Amino acid sequence: MIQEVCPVEWLSRQFSTRVIVLMPIAIAINIVLGATVQQALKLPIYLDSIGTILVGVVAGPVAGMLTGVLSNLIWGYLLPAPIGTTTIGPFAITAGVIGLLAGLWGRLGLFRSRRGERSSIPGAVVAIILVGALAIYTYARAYASPTDFQNITGFDPTAIDQSRIFFLVILVIFVALIAVALFLRRDVGAVYAIGAGLVTGIAAAIVSAPIAAVVFGGVTGSGTDLLVAAFRAGGDSLVSATLKQGLLSDPMDKMITSFVVFFIIGNLSQRFIARFPNGERLVSSSM
Amino acid sequence: MTVDRPTGSSPTPPDFVLQAPSGAYLSLNPVTKLLVAAAEVEAAFLIGTWTGPVLVLLLVLASAAIAGVVSRLAVIVAVTVPIVASILLINGFLYPGAVDVIVRLGPLAPSVSGFAFGLQITLRLLAASLALALAYLTTRTDDLLSDLERRGFGRRATYVIGSAVETVPRTVDRAAEIVDAQRSRGMDTEGRWWRRVRGIVPLAAPVVFGALTEVEERTMALEARAFSTPGPRTILRVLPDAPWQRLVRYGLLLGLIAVIVGRITGPLGALP
Repeated sequence: MIQEVCPVEWLSRQFSTRVIVLMPIAIAINIVLGATVQQALKLPIYLDSIGTILVGVVAGPVAGMLTGVLSNLIWGYLLPAPIGTTTIGPFAITAGVIGLLAGLWGRLGLFRSRRGERSSIPGAVVAIILVGALAIYTYARAYASPTDFQNITGFDPTAIDQSRIFFLVILVIFVALIAVALFLRRDVGAVYAIGAGLVTGIAAAIVSAPIAAVVFGGVTGSGTDLLVAAFRAGGDSLVSATLKQGLLSDPMDKMITSFVVFFIIGNLSQRFIARFPNGERLVSSSM
Repeated sequence: MTVDRPTGSSPTPPDFVLQAPSGAYLSLNPVTKLLVAAAEVEAAFLIGTWTGPVLVLLLVLASAAIAGVVSRLAVIVAVTVPIVASILLINGFLYPGAVDVIVRLGPLAPSVSGFAFGLQITLRLLAASLALALAYLTTRTDDLLSDLERRGFGRRATYVIGSAVETVPRTVDRAAEIVDAQRSRGMDTEGRWWRRVRGIVPLAAPVVFGALTEVEERTMALEARAFSTPGPRTILRVLPDAPWQRLVRYGLLLGLIAVIVGRITGPLGALP
């Protein structure tokens, strides 16, 4: 029997065993965190691409893309009901793009720790202000009309209060962590990572808006429905409401995710990181 | 060394290997079930506005009855109730440009066309999720993966998918263990929200870092078992397959492509 090589096998032969082992763990992190944030806490963000961006950054674009696509396919179609939901599956395309971009940022060295490079403190201050403004705007828009939203969707009021509080807390923790990274540890690398997250988020929003509109009529059963409902109540068409929702949720979400990944990479041992394909671009040379 | 074992004629596997399932639908080859499900999902989304979803729903229910999993499928329907309700209500009350508004209540304008649109999306989603759920309920993930591996899907890809499916429930368990451990050190997990929020980092960090430190050990364990050694492996448990199933699979693949092409070039109408 001739063993023909299928594309999946050809792709996966590109990776070392270490990368192959990292991928399922990253996929599990994606799914567990994403399910908690979207389905249990109903936040207007996703937090389901920490593993994808981590793999992309340490192991390159192709590995990142595969991790993203597989995460969504497994989450959507292979896991049983309490965690698995078919609404996630079609967004595999978005997840693939996110992983691909993360691989690119990893190659460019954007996630490297840059402790002690004081030259870009003004850039850091501008970044903090931008992030803070975007956070406040997203928060205000998401919870602008809670009563209308309850009437429309039938989510119970405590779920919305809880969602609001958790989201607020996450935003505060996020801004505090950036401040710690920038001013206490003097690590300007965080600004590069967050910038990469912003670009990734915009790309993700543009890719996922048509998917959300065509496949689900804009409703996916997670916290982002808050935003879609708010825009549609304001008279937007389906596609423009989902695009606006994406342009609010995604950049915020990917900036938080990128920062978390930056933080994780900085806290893992350098020996561990350096053994991955992109390792040399992630370990700071000044240490 | 070549191991060439044609399907169906393998010697009886030892007792500790699970027997292949029996029954008209259950004994189908896992890949056949997967392709049937894929074709049903595509039909639900791409054929007509009502015909596709309704036909697929009927087909799925019939196969579920043959396989004897109707009650387990009902559980899945129950899980989709919240999202179905959201879809119906958001589209029903907020459908922009509807001319057949029933009654106007401030920003809310329930309309017939809105509810019709919502119902249509609901049917599609239900048909697609049930088609996949049926394949899931009647196939063990291990079976599907080992059959794919036999078809040259590659053990690396099989490892990634199989290990991910296993790691998710293990990570959930580990998170529960960490919650217990932190509580025994005095962390408050049941008080008011601001107390619980303080626990987010001590909970999430050990889960993520613990999982990542496993990478090193697993890599060595796999290498010690010749994971990256080239050459074929002996398959312990060959799943049933039949020539007619092969024909069905190729037919379904052609059908999948034909519907997509038809939808894009016009005979079946443009995409919504």
